[in-house]
Amino acid sequence: MSLTLILFFGFVAILLMVLGWALRRPREGKNLGSDPRWIEERDQCQTNYLPQIRQALAAADYDFLSKRASRGTQRRVRHERLNVALAYLGALRGDFESLLRMARVIAVLSPEVAGAHEFERLRLTAKFAWRYRMIRWRLLTGMTPLAQLAGLSDLVSGLSVRLEQAMKELGERAAVAAELASSMNRRGMDAV
Amino acid sequence: MMWAVNTATGVALLLLLAVRKNYRIYPAFTFYIFVNVVVAASLFIVYRLWGFSSTVSWRIGWATQAVTVCARAWAVIEICRRFLSRYPGIWALAQRVLVACAGLVLLYSGVAVRHQWKLALPTVDRALELAIAAAIVVLFLFARYYGLRPASTDRSLALGLCLYSCFRVLNDTISDRYLFDYAQLWSLLEMVAFFASLLLWTWALRRSQLGMAAEGKLLPLGVYQSFAPQINLRLQSLNDHLGKIWNSEVTRH
Repeated sequence: MSLTLILFFGFVAILLMVLGWALRRPREGKNLGSDPRWIEERDQCQTNYLPQIRQALAAADYDFLSKRASRGTQRRVRHERLNVALAYLGALRGDFESLLRMARVIAVLSPEVAGAHEFERLRLTAKFAWRYRMIRWRLLTGMTPLAQLAGLSDLVSGLSVRLEQAMKELGERAAVAAELASSMNRRGMDAV
Repeated sequence: MMWAVNTATGVALLLLLAVRKNYRIYPAFTFYIFVNVVVAASLFIVYRLWGFSSTVSWRIGWATQAVTVCARAWAVIEICRRFLSRYPGIWALAQRVLVACAGLVLLYSGVAVRHQWKLALPTVDRALELAIAAAIVVLFLFARYYGLRPASTDRSLALGLCLYSCFRVLNDTISDRYLFDYAQLWSLLEMVAFFASLLLWTWALRRSQLGMAAEGKLLPLGVYQSFAPQINLRLQSLNDHLGKIWNSEVTRH
């Protein structure tokens, strides 16, 4: 089979696969247009549960248990901690996606967008998705110690506070949310 | 037989465009269908006069093909505009990206072939078709990335144009280079592919599209300018922290 044939058939096959993917309905098809509360909700995120998450991931807590509890209990605790870590990672991803959603909606409804910002966001999204999947995979296979996730809780609280400040700078969050929701309804948009 | 069916379906689609007044919404697409019907009729006469294998027929065939591809490109531009022009910021960005993608694909097509002058026309044709298909796929990616819901008619028209262009690329690659013996079969398959596209377009345009466009208000420019950099900064922070976990883990091993 000649190289030309492979190059063109390969290219068309890739195009068709990408087309099929692009035509699929997004998995998390939460329609922002019908629920403008998402902007307020995203600020609540998992910071409400920070103390519990910190405790669940604390290394000292686990050391204490490993000395006193039976092997079965330790296994159960390890399993539960893994679930907490995964849920936490998922919540971080939720935060990331909320920000992403907001950025996309604002971009779509803006009369002008900067290519640099949009491509930077695309790059960050790809990077985050890759790292998220790798870390999750490592957690599931036991290659990443849970204690390493503890540092993330600082990030979440810091992030939330800074975003809150940024939102206040605008001073019209509710108005923007309502505007976004109504504009999206008028324009027929999904918030994916 | 298939030629007659395609021409009849093309005429029916033109009539449908006229009756439903959709030619006002899709002038370029209507022109493309019109060109197809005219080209089919012209080629029928040309082949009758000079035969299928004559040089005159070959030249006229490729000349009409050039017109058809240009008309298809214009129809694709129209569909792209209908997909995104309601969102001026995104549309301005998409125009640059689509042109860049089409240019890169043309370059790819040029690099991917062995340069033989006798195959110059099929090569150019294939490059244009590939660029059209790639532009439509990128358009769908744009719509998905930004969570836009294009009208189902626009989606169907774009899908038909993309699939037919993909088929033509494969057709040009195989029949013009490797399988001369199967030229008739491939010609038939191409007509079947075009017929399928015609059916898809006819179904999509069965209703009038007039008055379906809804205009919405845009946000003030300042909203994007103040939010976009801040959000990117937050996304970068999240990435940095995930990176810390990842890097420490990699270092540990």
